[in-house]
Amino acid sequence: MLTLKNISKKLGNFNLSDISIAIPAGTYYVLLGRSGSGKTQLLELIAGLSRPDTGEIWLGSENLTSQRIQDRNIGLVFQDYAVFPNMTVFENIAYSISSGRKSRNFVKGKVFNISSELNIAHLLDRDTKHLSGGELQRVALARTLIKSPRLLLLDEPMASIDASLKDDIKRLFRRLNREGLTIIHVTHDYREAVSLASRVGVIHGGRIIQEGTPDEVFRKPVNRFVARYSGIRNFFRVKFMELAGEWKALCNGNLIFSLGGNSFPGEGLLLVRSDDIRISSGIDRPCSENCFRGKVTDILPSEYGMEVSVDTGVTFYVDVSADTFRQNPFSEHSEIWISFPREACIVLHEKKLD
Amino acid sequence: MNRYGPFNWILLLLSSLILLFLIAPLLSMFIKTGPGEFFATAADKEVRASIWLTIWVSFASTLLFSVAAVPFAWILARKSFPGKSLVQGIIDLPVVLPHTAAGIALLGFISREGVLGKAASAVGLNLVNNPAGIAIAMAFVSLPFLINAARDGFAAVPERLEKAGLNLGASPSRVFFTISLPLARRSIVTGFVMMFARGMSEFGAVVIIAYHPMIAPVLIYDRFSSFGLTYARPAAVLFILVALVVFTLLRLLSGRRETAIFKEENADA
Repeated sequence: MLTLKNISKKLGNFNLSDISIAIPAGTYYVLLGRSGSGKTQLLELIAGLSRPDTGEIWLGSENLTSQRIQDRNIGLVFQDYAVFPNMTVFENIAYSISSGRKSRNFVKGKVFNISSELNIAHLLDRDTKHLSGGELQRVALARTLIKSPRLLLLDEPMASIDASLKDDIKRLFRRLNREGLTIIHVTHDYREAVSLASRVGVIHGGRIIQEGTPDEVFRKPVNRFVARYSGIRNFFRVKFMELAGEWKALCNGNLIFSLGGNSFPGEGLLLVRSDDIRISSGIDRPCSENCFRGKVTDILPSEYGMEVSVDTGVTFYVDVSADTFRQNPFSEHSEIWISFPREACIVLHEKKLD
Repeated sequence: MNRYGPFNWILLLLSSLILLFLIAPLLSMFIKTGPGEFFATAADKEVRASIWLTIWVSFASTLLFSVAAVPFAWILARKSFPGKSLVQGIIDLPVVLPHTAAGIALLGFISREGVLGKAASAVGLNLVNNPAGIAIAMAFVSLPFLINAARDGFAAVPERLEKAGLNLGASPSRVFFTISLPLARRSIVTGFVMMFARGMSEFGAVVIIAYHPMIAPVLIYDRFSSFGLTYARPAAVLFILVALVVFTLLRLLSGRRETAIFKEENADA
């Protein structure tokens, strides 16, 4: 279990403030944040590249706070990999085990094993200057894993590799994690968090603003910032009120959303995920609640199929799969219905807003 | 059509004048020295000994002082500490100091009454009029060249690489010798060559510390003041030639390595 207790660190004009997280052993923890949010700095504090001004870092029952970098045995793969340019691939991977009294055969065997596992055994004699981004990343990873670190820290590991390699790398990280390695992965891309994390922490302005399982964070974002990170683009400023025993949200004075569960009066935000909204191009109203007629203002290809903008008085962004689009064709300026179930409404009360 | 405007012609003229100014005195000295007197000087034992003394003492001085100067340069490149700009100023001081004044200051330090002189005489070594004293005087005026070049070299090594080394469990000294030093090598070698060349050409500080044994610049001055220009000139020509050969050789040695690295770095471009 890695425990950060009230970590604070001043870095120029920027502060990491009062960060407390507990990461159980074996967790795949994704730290999600924009550039400049302090995520890399937090990783460096854990690795020991810098020391916190206040607070403590514990790994199990060991206090790491003032331990030197070289004594922590925490593996860090830098965003730009920091592969040593004056050494071959073999020398890079062997770096951590080639000092001391280790026999040459022992070193060779270990380097060969780890490099075979990562599919870079054929590169061992090569100079690092001629390697691709993906190859460099594997060298950096092999160099870190060869000393069996207690914790693996990955700084934006997908940032500079080809899209075609990303799935391979994700599989590799998942496998390492399944084998018991605790991983802390820093990224700005929520899709990496969704596909890899067993726990997610969202960092913003040097603070952890939400933490939990991916489902908790992405289904119940605590504020607009986290919601935006989870890919939600439909935000509506609303007034919550009770009408005939049911909780409703009133938007712009004319749209009325039906909410699931209990609420309380006040103002806030209503969020609807783009993929929870259905489109119907027929004339008849398809359902009785959370159903609005509007005009298609834009149709853009997206990774899901199409992203459709619909103006109902407020603009909704709707993800439509390519199949649905074929079966249910419409074009710009078409009048269509959009609808979504009560359960798709995510409520953020004002008092929770940042 | 004339591609060059008047401004470019003026620049060309001014540059040529500067080049001529640098080359002309040397060239005239070479022309005025007849082969007969040149070879006689080259055969002169005293001249040969002084040139050899100059080369080896400067080399030894550079080598010896680099043991401390290179790690010092790393500290200057990596660490922040109170008074750092003052320290940097002190390092550059020998460049602006009149070298005879530096010699006087050093003499007080290494003569038998001085701190270092006392320590040396305790082990039976008199630093004045001794190659060890010459080496100290050469180092005093030429150290900035090595320290500044090495500092720039270390500063150009990404600090992340050193941190990565530490993160892999290496000790700071192992990181220094396996990462920082090899990656800053080119600048350090350049600084080494510059310090060595500057040490070899030093006169002012050395003449105060050690008139004898005579290094080449002192010998040339001695011959000039005792016997005149004609007698001093062949020795000067010989020393300049030897210095040029040594300097070119060192440049080639370090340059070949640089070219190799440069080619590798650009192979993918």
